[in-house]
Amino acid sequence: MASERDLAELTDRAVREIADAGDEPALEAVRVRYLGRKDGELTTRMKAVAALPAAERPAAGAALNRAKAAVEAALAERERALRARSLDEQLAAERVDLSLPGRPVRLGRLHPISRTIRDITRIFLSMGFESVEGPEIEWDYYNFEALNIPPGHPARDKFNTLWVAQESATALSLARTGTDGAIARPDGGRRDLGPMLFRTHTSPMQIRTMEQRRPPVRVVVPGRCYRFEATDATHESIFFQYEGLAIDEKLSMADLKGVLYSFARQLFGGERKVRFRPDYFPFTEPSAEIAFDCFACEGSGRKDGARCPTCAGAGWIEAAGCGMVHPDALRRVGYDPAKYQGFAFGGGVERLAMLLTGTPDIRLFHQNDLRYLESV
Amino acid sequence: MPTIRVPLSWLKEYVDAHGSVDDIARQLHMSGTEVDRIERPGGGWEHVWVGRIATLEKHPNADKLLLATVEYGDGREKTVVTGAPNLAAGDIVPYAEVGATLRDGHGDGFLTLRPRKVRGVLSEGMVCSEKELGLGEDHEGILILDRSLAVGQPLADALGDPVLVIELQPNRADCMGIVGIARELAALQRVALREPKVAKLRDELDRSRLDVRIEDPDGCRRFGAAYLEDVKIGPSPAWLQERLIAAGMRPIHNAVDITNYVMLELGQPLHAYDADRLRGRALVARRARSSESLKTLDGVERILSPEVLVIADEDRSLGIAGILGGADSEIRPTTAKIALECASFEPRGIDRTAQRLGLSQQSAASARFRLNLSPELVPLALARAVALLIEHAGARLAGATDVYPAPWHRPNVKLRFSDIQRILGIEIPREESLDALARLAFQYAESGDTLVATPPAFRTDIAIAEDIVEEVARIVGYDRIPVRMPDGPLPLHERHPLEELREQVRDRLVGFGLQETVSYSLIDPAWLERLTPDGSPIAPGPIRVQNPTSGGQSVARPTLRASLLDTAARNLKHRDGISIFEIAPVYLARSGDLPEERWTIGVLVAGRALEQTWLTQPRAWDRWDVKGILAGLASAIGAGSFSGPTGPAPGMHAGRSSIRLHEEYPALMIGQLDPRVAERWELPADTFIGEVDLVSLLSVVARRTAAVPPRYPAALRDAAFIVDEPVEYAAVRDEVVGAAKELLESITLLDVYRGAQVGAEKKSFALRLVLRSPTATLTDAEVDRVMSRIEGRVLHKLGGTLRG
Repeated sequence: MASERDLAELTDRAVREIADAGDEPALEAVRVRYLGRKDGELTTRMKAVAALPAAERPAAGAALNRAKAAVEAALAERERALRARSLDEQLAAERVDLSLPGRPVRLGRLHPISRTIRDITRIFLSMGFESVEGPEIEWDYYNFEALNIPPGHPARDKFNTLWVAQESATALSLARTGTDGAIARPDGGRRDLGPMLFRTHTSPMQIRTMEQRRPPVRVVVPGRCYRFEATDATHESIFFQYEGLAIDEKLSMADLKGVLYSFARQLFGGERKVRFRPDYFPFTEPSAEIAFDCFACEGSGRKDGARCPTCAGAGWIEAAGCGMVHPDALRRVGYDPAKYQGFAFGGGVERLAMLLTGTPDIRLFHQNDLRYLESV
Repeated sequence: MPTIRVPLSWLKEYVDAHGSVDDIARQLHMSGTEVDRIERPGGGWEHVWVGRIATLEKHPNADKLLLATVEYGDGREKTVVTGAPNLAAGDIVPYAEVGATLRDGHGDGFLTLRPRKVRGVLSEGMVCSEKELGLGEDHEGILILDRSLAVGQPLADALGDPVLVIELQPNRADCMGIVGIARELAALQRVALREPKVAKLRDELDRSRLDVRIEDPDGCRRFGAAYLEDVKIGPSPAWLQERLIAAGMRPIHNAVDITNYVMLELGQPLHAYDADRLRGRALVARRARSSESLKTLDGVERILSPEVLVIADEDRSLGIAGILGGADSEIRPTTAKIALECASFEPRGIDRTAQRLGLSQQSAASARFRLNLSPELVPLALARAVALLIEHAGARLAGATDVYPAPWHRPNVKLRFSDIQRILGIEIPREESLDALARLAFQYAESGDTLVATPPAFRTDIAIAEDIVEEVARIVGYDRIPVRMPDGPLPLHERHPLEELREQVRDRLVGFGLQETVSYSLIDPAWLERLTPDGSPIAPGPIRVQNPTSGGQSVARPTLRASLLDTAARNLKHRDGISIFEIAPVYLARSGDLPEERWTIGVLVAGRALEQTWLTQPRAWDRWDVKGILAGLASAIGAGSFSGPTGPAPGMHAGRSSIRLHEEYPALMIGQLDPRVAERWELPADTFIGEVDLVSLLSVVARRTAAVPPRYPAALRDAAFIVDEPVEYAAVRDEVVGAAKELLESITLLDVYRGAQVGAEKKSFALRLVLRSPTATLTDAEVDRVMSRIEGRVLHKLGGTLRG
């Protein structure tokens, strides 16, 4: 009968052969040699235990079981290693040329004006404003008169107007306005609305919004506007504006400044300087213009030794006109100016879109040349 | 906006302003006087000198040309050939050397001077006109300079005075004169203002010399006039001419130049009449009579109407009040007696008349009168002009009058000091607020928290407390206003569902790989006629623009289709495929109200859909792409189907398009463009369009309910039905859906087969059905029952048979 030392040598030899097995068939041969059912060396010895005297059997059996476990563990370990290696080899053999181009994907894009309007409304939404929209074809009343710009007012010069042709505007000069009558207006809801026109700014929505709501009001209004104007690289006769209106009991110019500063910074980055200067609009008092320093030339007005093309050398980019809503406008919609006050602002969408996308000519927006649209 | 030109040297006559011209411009700008730009004449005047005509001779070979020898310092002398009619030996003129770059006197560009031979005589350089120097439009003659200018100095040194070009706000009529700008600057810099000194005129005028009357006190608020004799008409002094030129006006002769000068200085227009031409020796402000005619200074014979305010003598209109004088009474070289009008007109009337006559831009007087000029300017300006006429035209004042029936009273504006903080959001110390008002020449009285402020006589724009607050704020500086975020309750309103849906649709279509476009909402009406083979309309008649900028933008589009076709056609000139969408309103007239602005989705695909690559076969867009895009869209936003019937789509391929109505509105159009229409737009025949009305779409969007993953397995069955050729797939599908009821989870069309195996005029639809019960595993027997029910219905309703 083999000694304990014999068994240890056998185990060592088996483990060594397992480690030396170079592939799975070689490993299988080693397994058969030691653990094969018929005449594996360990199997044979285990069968021989039965022939031992009863007193030796337990010890011999235990020693053999330990040896078998060690060999099986080594086999399993080696098998894992061999499998991993062969998989590695297989994967390496399946190499493809990854520099080949992939299957094409069609990219859809929003128009830069849509994207800019979204950027604008998202920022104001985050400040508690809501987005509302209004008609592009308007009554003279909302576009001008309710905003303190009666016929003959010199401020109409700023708004070269496209008018709706007479036979299209078959209407009435007298019509009911407002919707739900929630607010009692001094004129009882009937008034001369004047002729129809293509709105020259989004400001009519100040009046329409106030007619339909009670304070607190905070709205931002994006939309298409029209002017009778020659087009060039920075002017379009059809363009987009955004308008803002906030009415409450205590809103002041400081709040207006805060909202517009925050807007400019969220849109163009935190390092922008903002300038606030007096301006004139018939429907706000006091009025202001907000501008931020040109990011192309850092406010110097000069770039690469020449006049900065982004700000035309001014160093500042005008972003919006704004001011405190005129008490006459408040009174007109039935708000008590002694109780409510607030601010309004309005600016051009294209100007911001040009700056955000580096678009050099405003006419590119409406030309819809896909070579341009796919680049921004 | 009115623009005025303020030469710095002229401005400084009234105020000792400190700082550079840039500092001055910045201060004005930041306090609300918008400085558009600073013009620095002389920027383009290199090689241009003050020269003197030493000799002037006839050109030996040309009757109309002259040889002028110009000396320009340090013994330099050159001979130039010129055709100018107004030169004399000894004149001081601008001389441009060879190498100078000047504006082209006969065009819009620039010219660089080179030596050249003119009719055989060498001409080196040029003597220059106003236009060539960029000082004005005059190219009739050479600009004759003041004789006191030193010959040989650069012209820029002699004339180079920076000019502030100011865009005035229309409420600041007081700033229409240079003195007004000086007042602003004096307030900003806390320096003294020197207004032009004028001796007040006594209201003494013999009615037999000149009878001044106001017959329309609503139109004419104040009428000042002076009667001057012994006037000698001639050129103005050079300094005056130069100032007019710098401020953008053409010198004419002393009388007119002086009225213009006073207008530029004080903002108040005046008009000088040849008094001998006045019939009945009267100046009357009245309405024109019906069909009264008048030949105005611009040479136009105008027929007037009673809405027009005129200045007349006893017989006839002399001029259109505040806008344009008449030809007959204008000052002539021989005029010896002048009736000088200085009046205040109601601005709205001036505006209306100027608009009607098309003169609102051209007339410097109406540009001022339509702003609300203070009537207090009248006596000032009249006295100033009289003084200048006495000094520079040898005139003698025979008398003056001031008719002022209803004097204007300045408002006393009451406010509380706390209003300043309420509006600005910052407390301005009381002394500082009062100081700001004092600097602006306001008068005020205070009592406790109450302040009563009265604007100076020249300010007509101050009416309410907010105006006073703005005055204080712009003087202390808007920089002082702090930056704060609004607090208080937030209004709670939901976004309008239509806008919400519209943005979802945008995102989905972009996700499907389409490019969004934004095109002009005003289009060429001719486009609408090109949308059908016979020019018949596909949409209601468009809303027309009364005064379009061009024919190409003269109607509001009642459909997006023309814009889509135009965009596609232009892009397909440089690419072979396109897939775009636009979401925008179409404009539909409504009786008695604003037009309906109906948001519409337009999708267009045409040409090549897929490029050939090593992985992909080239493929063209087809009608199933549009169908798939719109079906995918409906599925993505949870839209159900439209309820109305389908009908033919005008302008589209008759066999491959349809319109579906929803509540009687065309809610959905899908199809291929009519090939004849495609040809008219130079588009490929394989152009496919989808149009969806957003309001209709919104009405069929249902709120989504979350689905719990099913607990029981599905049964999958394939079946092919053979039907007659005219039977549409939708009919088969509807029968299958109706028969299987809630057990049908999905239905997929695997194949459409036509051919020998199904027979002539027949086709087969191969369907894959997924059946599932939410409550139990379906048995084979149950599935078989469903399938036979389906088979029965397709047979019974459509005559279709199951393909074996």
